[in-house]
Amino acid sequence: MAAVTKSGLDKNNKYDRQLRLWGDHGQSALESARVCLINATATGTEILKNLILPGIGSFTIIDEHKVQGEDVGNNFFLSKESIGSSRARTATELLSELNEDVSGDFIEESPSNLIENNPDFFASFTIVIATNMDEKSLLQLGELLWNLHVPLLICRCYGFIGYIRLVVKEHNVIESHPDSTHEDLRLDRPIPAFVTLCDSLDMSSMNKKDHSHTPWLIVLYKYLQQWKDSHGGELPKIYKEKSQLKELIRNGVLKNKDGVPEDEENFDEAVRNVNTALHPTSVPSDVQKLFKDPACLNLTSESRPFWILTRAVKDFVEHEGKGALPVRGTIPDMTSDSERYIKLQSVYRDQAAKDVSDVTRRVHKLLQELGQNPCSISEKDIKTFCRNSAFLRVIRCRSLKDEYNPETANVTLIGQHLEDEDGDDVVFYTLLRSVDKFYEKYNHYPGYYTQQVESDITELKACLSKLLQDWSLSSTVKDDYIHEMCRYGASELHTISAYIGGVAAQEAIKMITGQFLPINNTYIYNAMKQSSTTLDL
Amino acid sequence: MSAAMKSSLSNKLQQNVSSCKILVVGAGGIGCELLKNLALTGFSDIEVIDLDTIDVSNLNRQFLFRKEHVGKSKSQVAKESTLKFNPDVNIVAYHDSVMNPDYGVNFFKKFKLVMNALDNRAARNHVNRMCLAADVPLVESGTAGYLGQVTVIKKGLTECYECRPKATQKTFPGCTIRNTPSEPIHCVVWAKHLFNQLFGEDDPDQDVSPDTEDPELTAEAGEKALEKETEGNGKDLERKSTRVWAVENGYNPEKIFSKLFRDDIKYLLSMEALWKTRRPPEPLDWSNLSDATPSSATQMRDQRIWSMKECGEVFGNCLGKLKVDLAAQGEDGMLVWDKDDETALDFVVSAANIRANIFGISQKSRFDIKSMAGNIIPAIATTNAIIAALIVMEALKILNDQFDKCTTVYLNRKPNFRKKLLDAGRLDKPNPKCYVCSAKPEVTVVLNTQKITIKFLEEKILKGDLGMVAPDVEIDNGMGTIIISSEEGETEENNEKLLSSFGIINGSRLKCDDFLQNYNLNITIAHVEKLEDEKDFMVVGDMAELQAKLEENSKKKEEGTGAALEKSKEEEEDDLEIIDDTEAMETAPTDTSPKKRKADELDCTPTAKKQKKSIGGDGDADVVEIL
Repeated sequence: MAAVTKSGLDKNNKYDRQLRLWGDHGQSALESARVCLINATATGTEILKNLILPGIGSFTIIDEHKVQGEDVGNNFFLSKESIGSSRARTATELLSELNEDVSGDFIEESPSNLIENNPDFFASFTIVIATNMDEKSLLQLGELLWNLHVPLLICRCYGFIGYIRLVVKEHNVIESHPDSTHEDLRLDRPIPAFVTLCDSLDMSSMNKKDHSHTPWLIVLYKYLQQWKDSHGGELPKIYKEKSQLKELIRNGVLKNKDGVPEDEENFDEAVRNVNTALHPTSVPSDVQKLFKDPACLNLTSESRPFWILTRAVKDFVEHEGKGALPVRGTIPDMTSDSERYIKLQSVYRDQAAKDVSDVTRRVHKLLQELGQNPCSISEKDIKTFCRNSAFLRVIRCRSLKDEYNPETANVTLIGQHLEDEDGDDVVFYTLLRSVDKFYEKYNHYPGYYTQQVESDITELKACLSKLLQDWSLSSTVKDDYIHEMCRYGASELHTISAYIGGVAAQEAIKMITGQFLPINNTYIYNAMKQSSTTLDL
Repeated sequence: MSAAMKSSLSNKLQQNVSSCKILVVGAGGIGCELLKNLALTGFSDIEVIDLDTIDVSNLNRQFLFRKEHVGKSKSQVAKESTLKFNPDVNIVAYHDSVMNPDYGVNFFKKFKLVMNALDNRAARNHVNRMCLAADVPLVESGTAGYLGQVTVIKKGLTECYECRPKATQKTFPGCTIRNTPSEPIHCVVWAKHLFNQLFGEDDPDQDVSPDTEDPELTAEAGEKALEKETEGNGKDLERKSTRVWAVENGYNPEKIFSKLFRDDIKYLLSMEALWKTRRPPEPLDWSNLSDATPSSATQMRDQRIWSMKECGEVFGNCLGKLKVDLAAQGEDGMLVWDKDDETALDFVVSAANIRANIFGISQKSRFDIKSMAGNIIPAIATTNAIIAALIVMEALKILNDQFDKCTTVYLNRKPNFRKKLLDAGRLDKPNPKCYVCSAKPEVTVVLNTQKITIKFLEEKILKGDLGMVAPDVEIDNGMGTIIISSEEGETEENNEKLLSSFGIINGSRLKCDDFLQNYNLNITIAHVEKLEDEKDFMVVGDMAELQAKLEENSKKKEEGTGAALEKSKEEEEDDLEIIDDTEAMETAPTDTSPKKRKADELDCTPTAKKQKKSIGGDGDADVVEIL
């Protein structure tokens, strides 16, 4: 990441508040991202705004439409003067003003033309975001991008309803940022250098200052050994046993000449950490699943770095790791003198470095065997991968084709939601699908022409019944919802666009940075109730 | 109003939207998004107030601002940028603090609705009171990193902003900062105090020299140290204030360094009682600083740990530059510490790390210290966009007189276990004992009447904790003795007097009146000799609550888990915060728990461990508690 932006501002200052969420490497990923937006609708420009501000590399708007009065009413990035001119061009110009370090481009063409005549065009994008596309073109685009391995984010605002669908064959997440994690301390299978360090310290001969500044990790290890010695080498497992160990530690606190225990914070910390620190070292089930994934087992010359790294770590676990993942290498803050804290820190850091070098050797070997460039995976990437190896995740979305084909649609889930009294967010999914059927038939959305609302209600009902019938669902949808849907008349309200603009841009950032878990795969927002639902369709 | 809006809103609501006057308080992260949303929803009579100017670090999200606007008024530029696209909207912009007495109850009464887009608790408290006094509905909001919240406040119908006690902004005991730091944050706080002592506003609470009144010292030990000091050098100079001393020495880096990091440390070492169970600090010598770097030197300046030698050089350079900056302010000028000012930040980074090294505390990078010292809350465009949209939805319900449909909404970092990214809940009823919105506000303040001065009562308790702006206070003793007057100069001679000198004892009652906020509060004084954790005072709802609190404290102590989730919060940052835990978030962890979030919201409450970690400033602390 260059220290200074094109615009001459210090990047660390300009992006300071976000670097604290996704780091320099997340920012670099963002800065090399190429984002494609189909249709500069209010929703589309709001999403782009939220991607341009944090500094994506470039964006391209595909839009064949001219700016209309309606657009100016709900789109901040189109002004009255622009009515009649190209929507793609106007939006590109105004959005570009938001950040001089982002380059913008546009194509005045319909997406279906591009799909038909220049399908490779889409291959170069990091992500494609589509708004207001008709069902047929959307399915075509979905299939094309699916095969190109380019993620597609479909976004839509319809009255007070917002909708987002992520379509990607496979997305790998190295830094999933789990909410809570156990420290990787390995007290159940201590690092050899840790044992040496602990053995070199004799707490019984320490003066008061040293005694109360021995890191709790060492204190805990010492008393754990005592406990094991009197329990046939077993670790405390159940609550009662852990309580006994805690008691043992408490009894080790120095006493003053009157026999009253001193205040030793390191011992308090040791007691407090018994439960979490004795969490057995294991390969989490999500990661075990990845080890058994065909993509990991059957590497090819086409395999992506993620899977080569996963395989290298798997092989490490089965050999050098003796059943455990590479050591994470960090320890928590604790009461200690700095000398021993630093020693302790180096024990873990050195072991982590050693594990990384073992994995690196395996990575290079694999790359060679596969005929890939042995330098294609950097030292830094391997390090990050090893440090996060317990939290690796793979997202595989269902394809649009599967969702839209009644044979393969996730009908059971939809049915459950429709039966559920609370499930009305999903009702709107079925209604969105119904208005598309309606559009296909009548070439306008229900309620769009105020004079036809009554007949549109009847027709929309019919479309919905047909859809439910295709799904073999016997559920019913209250008339109120159908009326409401017709009342919307396919209007795009700015506030709803602003909301979806925020949520969808955040999902795009997750996809681009490969950090945090994206929504898999559908998100529905109901602004009347301020509620939202995610579901896998 | 757009055709789309027209088809979706009832006629009456459309009418309300296009005709009503509304106030947006704050033109920052949320404020910019909100102005855009309001203009495009059909609102056409908007006033916006913000006292802030635009900073480079705003540009990653405050989209109405560009590079060329840096340094200009946020409210003015926000207005101009909004009008550029929506020339039909009427916007009045005030570049001012909403707490300025010019904006009284009558000002607030002009509005049909007030929307907060603020970043600090003091202003939130104030606007809350103004809206209660004017009986205008308020939409309150805040964001922090990926988290956010929106809620609605309506006098008599819902909780007000102050109905539930918020985690108080914990400060560190003075003697921990001055004598016995044990965590990096202690050194950072000390370094910021040092900046103020040398260049900023003089605050006796921010003394950086060794504290001879440390409760850990027996009276004798303290006196002994004092004696030593008086017979030794410079005692008088120190009492003269660090500032005067520094000026007299021309901010000579070697002299200042030697005093702070050698002589003062040696002096601390003479307080032997402090070091019986602690690692004693090791004084440093200006001419002999180590250039050993704690970690690999290949990384960026912001990310790596500096050697002592580098710290010393930076410290010296900064003193030189800040001296010039200070001189440029003219006589009686002062500098205000700003995390976005390179020199001010470098000064704190170097001083904090030197002190950390002396006390054997782990050193921190410039990046981390910026976050710790500046209480930076991560802030991104996406979260603000989402929250500003939610605000408008609540506003529409209010204008439609649908208070029963209004909600308090939390934005989670990711869908919770019920697959909800948003958690919307009904608004709670007002707390009948609230010391702000109840019919007869009452509060008990626990303190030592023989130690607390009138000035302390006014500045720290009434204006600080209790959020008043210009209080008048009389003793409810039948004689109406006025001890504090909002009229300048009327009661100044009382400032340094102790409460006890006015006959204030345990059980005394004070009648406080803040004319601007149209707020009357009766305070009952509970006298105690000493409070826990060196606190000077404690505000409690009533005596029953006090009892409960005391019991809880003693229980905590028994368990010995002083899992002190401390926050160091001293100032707040951006958009964040209704989150009042702005503090929480960011670098500055806080107690999150008291908020009664429903069970399904718990998944975003941080664990104690995580919070603790965030104190250290590593990792992103997206902790939140909002409101």
